Amino acid sequence: MLGFVIQRLLQATVVMAVMSVIVFCGVYAIGNPIDIVIPPDATQDLREEAIRRLGLDQPLWRQYLTFVTNLLQGDFGRSFVYNIPVLELIGGRLPATLELVLISVLSATVLGVSLGIYAGYRPDSWFSKAVMAVSVLGFSVPSFWIGLILILTFAVNLGWLPAGGRGETVLVGGVPFSFLTLDGLSHIVLPAINLALFKLAMMIRLARAGTREIMLTDTIKFARAAGISEGVILRRHLLKLISIPIITVFGLELGSTLAFAVVTETIFSWPGVGKLIIDSIAVLDRPVMVAYLILVAFLFVLINFTVDLVFALIDPRIRAGATE
Amino acid sequence: MKHMALLRPAAVAIGLMAAGVASAQELVMGVRGGPESLDPHFSALGSHAEAAKHIFDTLVWSGDDLQIEPGLATEWTPIDDDTWEFKLREGVKFHDGSDFDAEDVKFSIERIPVVSGPTTTTIYVRRVKEVEIVDPLTIRIHTDGQAATLPNDFIRLFIVSSEAAADYSTPETAAEGFNSGAATIGTGPYKFVSWEPKGDLVLERFDDYWRGMGAWEKVTRKEMPNDSSRLAALKAGQVDVINYVSSVDYLALENDSAVDTIKGDSVYIMNLQLDQREDTPLVRAKDGSDLDANPFRDLKVRQAIDYAIDRETMVEIVLEGLGKPANQLMPEGFFGSNADIPMPEYDPAKAKELLTEAGYPDGFEVDLYCTSDRLPGDGAICQGLGQMLSAVGIKTNVNAVSKTVYFPAQGRLEYSMFMNGWGTLTGEASYTLGGLAHSNNPDVKMGAFNRIQYSNPEVDALMQEGATEMDADARRGMYEEAMAKIMADKAYISIVQLQTVWAAKAGALTFTPRFDEDTLAFFMKPAS
Repeated sequence: MLGFVIQRLLQATVVMAVMSVIVFCGVYAIGNPIDIVIPPDATQDLREEAIRRLGLDQPLWRQYLTFVTNLLQGDFGRSFVYNIPVLELIGGRLPATLELVLISVLSATVLGVSLGIYAGYRPDSWFSKAVMAVSVLGFSVPSFWIGLILILTFAVNLGWLPAGGRGETVLVGGVPFSFLTLDGLSHIVLPAINLALFKLAMMIRLARAGTREIMLTDTIKFARAAGISEGVILRRHLLKLISIPIITVFGLELGSTLAFAVVTETIFSWPGVGKLIIDSIAVLDRPVMVAYLILVAFLFVLINFTVDLVFALIDPRIRAGATE
Repeated sequence: MKHMALLRPAAVAIGLMAAGVASAQELVMGVRGGPESLDPHFSALGSHAEAAKHIFDTLVWSGDDLQIEPGLATEWTPIDDDTWEFKLREGVKFHDGSDFDAEDVKFSIERIPVVSGPTTTTIYVRRVKEVEIVDPLTIRIHTDGQAATLPNDFIRLFIVSSEAAADYSTPETAAEGFNSGAATIGTGPYKFVSWEPKGDLVLERFDDYWRGMGAWEKVTRKEMPNDSSRLAALKAGQVDVINYVSSVDYLALENDSAVDTIKGDSVYIMNLQLDQREDTPLVRAKDGSDLDANPFRDLKVRQAIDYAIDRETMVEIVLEGLGKPANQLMPEGFFGSNADIPMPEYDPAKAKELLTEAGYPDGFEVDLYCTSDRLPGDGAICQGLGQMLSAVGIKTNVNAVSKTVYFPAQGRLEYSMFMNGWGTLTGEASYTLGGLAHSNNPDVKMGAFNRIQYSNPEVDALMQEGATEMDADARRGMYEEAMAKIMADKAYISIVQLQTVWAAKAGALTFTPRFDEDTLAFFMKPAS
C-alpha cells in the first residue's frame, strides 16, 4: 500500500510541474494585459511605468522563474486588477463555491444512486420509467436555460426564493458558510438544484446500468440461493460491485464542477471562484488566471489521487496489482 | 451546543424582520461593475470611480451633463500661465469628524502616482508639477506649461484624509488599508461599512455631509455582471434599482407595471473610423486583387460611406429605439460640440454616384472590425453597417470581436475600417479631439488614440492653440471650429449616440440620469 501511495505521489508531482509550465506559457500567449488595462489617453511614460511595475518588461523565462520561486514560498503574486494577493482573492471566494458544489454533487449522488438502483432493480415499474424519462431531460436541456427557468418560476413569479446572491453566512473555524442559516439555505437551493440536475441524471443512468448487469450475474443468483435477504444483497453485494464506475465519475464530476461552475455562478450571481476566473480572463488578469488554473490542476490531481486510494481500499485486486 | 443550533434560525428570522422594517430607508442597487479596490486612487475605471463617489468627494464636480461645477473647491482661477488657484470649501468634515483642508488635497494629489494601479489614475494629475499650500483653504497648483483643462482633469481626483491614509500610501499597503476600512475616510455622502471584491459594498449615511443628508440610511451596492440575473433580482424584489438594462429587456419592461424604466443619454458615441495611411491592409478589389491606392484617402469615397448609412434605421431597428442619430464625436451641449453641423442625410443613390466618380463604379471589398462585448448594441450596429455598405456596392465582411482582441489589434494599426464607441468622459473637447483627431504626436501629448493616422494641419493648429488658451470662451470657439473641420473630412463618421436604461421597482425612487451612466445613491430620492 505504501509503495502504491509513493508511486502516485511522484506521478502527481510530475503532472503539477508540467502543468505549471503549460499554464504559464498558455496564459502569456493569450494577449497583453497592458492593452486592456491602460486607459487610451495615458502617455507613453505612464504606459512604460505600468509595464515595469507589473513586471511585464522581463523576458518570459525570467517571469516564469520568479513565479515558480515565489510559488514555492507560497506566494502566488498579486492581482493586476485588485492589487491584493491572489490567494486572498481566490481564498475569499472558494468557500462559496465549495459549499455549493459539495451540496449539489453529494445530493445528486445519494439521490441519483438510490433512484438508479431502484430503476435497475425494478426496471418495469412505472416509477422507474418515470425516473428514466426525467433523467433524459436532465441530460438534454442546457443548464443555463434551466437556471433561468428556475429563477423565473421560483423567484420572479412565485416569489418563494431569492433570485441570486449568497445569503447570510456564519463563520465556522474562520470560514464563512451560508448553508447553516435559514437565509443562506434559501439562497443556495436554486443554484444547487441547477448544478445538480445533470449530475443526478448521470448518476441515475450509471447506477441503473450497473444494477441491471450485476443482478443477472451468478453472484446474485448464489446469494439468493443461499437465502440472503434482498436488502442485504443490494447493500452488501450490489452496491459494492457497481461502486467503482460511480466513484470514478463522482471524482471527475466533483473536480470539474468545482473548477467550472461558471454558468450557474454567473446566472445566480453566486460569489464563487468561477465568476472570478471569467472576469479575470476578460481583463487578462494574469496572476489570477495562472494561480487559479494551477490550483485547479492541483485539485484534479488530489481528487484522482483520493479516488485511486478509495479504489484500492474497495477492490483488493488493484491493491495487489500495484505492489507486485 | 444543541441549544445554539436551535437558537440560530430564530435569530435569523428576527434579523430578517428588522431588515423588512428598515427597508423604507434602505437602498439596494444591483450594478454591472464594481470597484477594484476601495482605494479611490487605484484605478481610473468608470465603475471604480462610480463606487468611490459614494465615499469620497472630488475638488471639481462633474454634473449630470458632465459640465464642471464646484465640488470640494468652490472656485478656481488661473493666476498666471502655469498656475491655478483653488479656493476650498469651508466647514467640510471627514467621516471621522476631522476637518477637510489644503493638506488633504496636497496629500491626495501626491499620493496618486505612488499607489496608482495599471488602469492608471496618474492621468488626472499628469499636468501637476507642484502643489503649494497658501492657507488652509487655498491651494495653488503649478503645472508643466499652460494647462487650460486642469479643472476638467480633477473631476475624478478623489480627496482622502491625510491622517487616516498616512500609513496606507504605498503600493503594498494601500489595498489593505482601504479595503479594511481603516483608511476609507472621505468627505462623501456615505461611510464605508464593508466590501468584498466582486461582491457587495455596504454603506451607511454620513449625517454631516456638506451637500446635506442623503435620503437612504443604508445603501448596498451589489455587483451583478450578468444582465438577466440583475433583472431577475429586481423582479424578485431583492434589489430596488438596476443599471444597464439590455435593449431586449427594455421592450418587455415598458409593458410591466411593477417596474419603472428610466432612460438617459449616454456619453458614448459609435464612430466608424477609416484608415488614412497610403497602404491599408484589409481593403481589396472584389476579385481579390490589390487596389492602386487606399480608397479611404479619397474624400468622395468617405462621403459615399456617410451617405450609405441610414442612422434612423440604426436607432429604430438595430437599437430598438435606445439611441439617437449622431453627427459629431461628442454629444450636444458638451464643451466644444458644434451646433451648426448638419445631420448627415441617408442617400444610397448619391453614395453610388460618388463611388463611381471616385473611380470605383463596382465598389470594392473591405473587412470591417468592431467590438461585440463592450457597449450595448455594438455588435448589432456593426452588422447593420455591413449591410448598408454592401447595399451601395462596398462589399463589407463584418467581424464583431471581443474587446480583448479588438483594442490590441487596433492599437497595432491592423485594421482598415473599424468601429467602436468613444465616451467624452471629461465633458470637453480636448480629451476627445486631442486624443482622436490630432496627428499622433507624443511631443505635444496628443493624438494617442488616432488609430487611422488622420492628419489635418488646421485641426492640429486649433487643438494646440486651444490647449494653451486660458480664456474658456475663446477655447470653446477653437474646439467648435476643429470639430466642424474633422466632421467635414469624414475620416471619423459618427453614427449613433447610445442611450442607457435603468429600471427600478415601480414608484420606489426618482433620479436624473447622468451622461456618464453613474448610478449614485445620494442623488436618488424616494418617490413619495
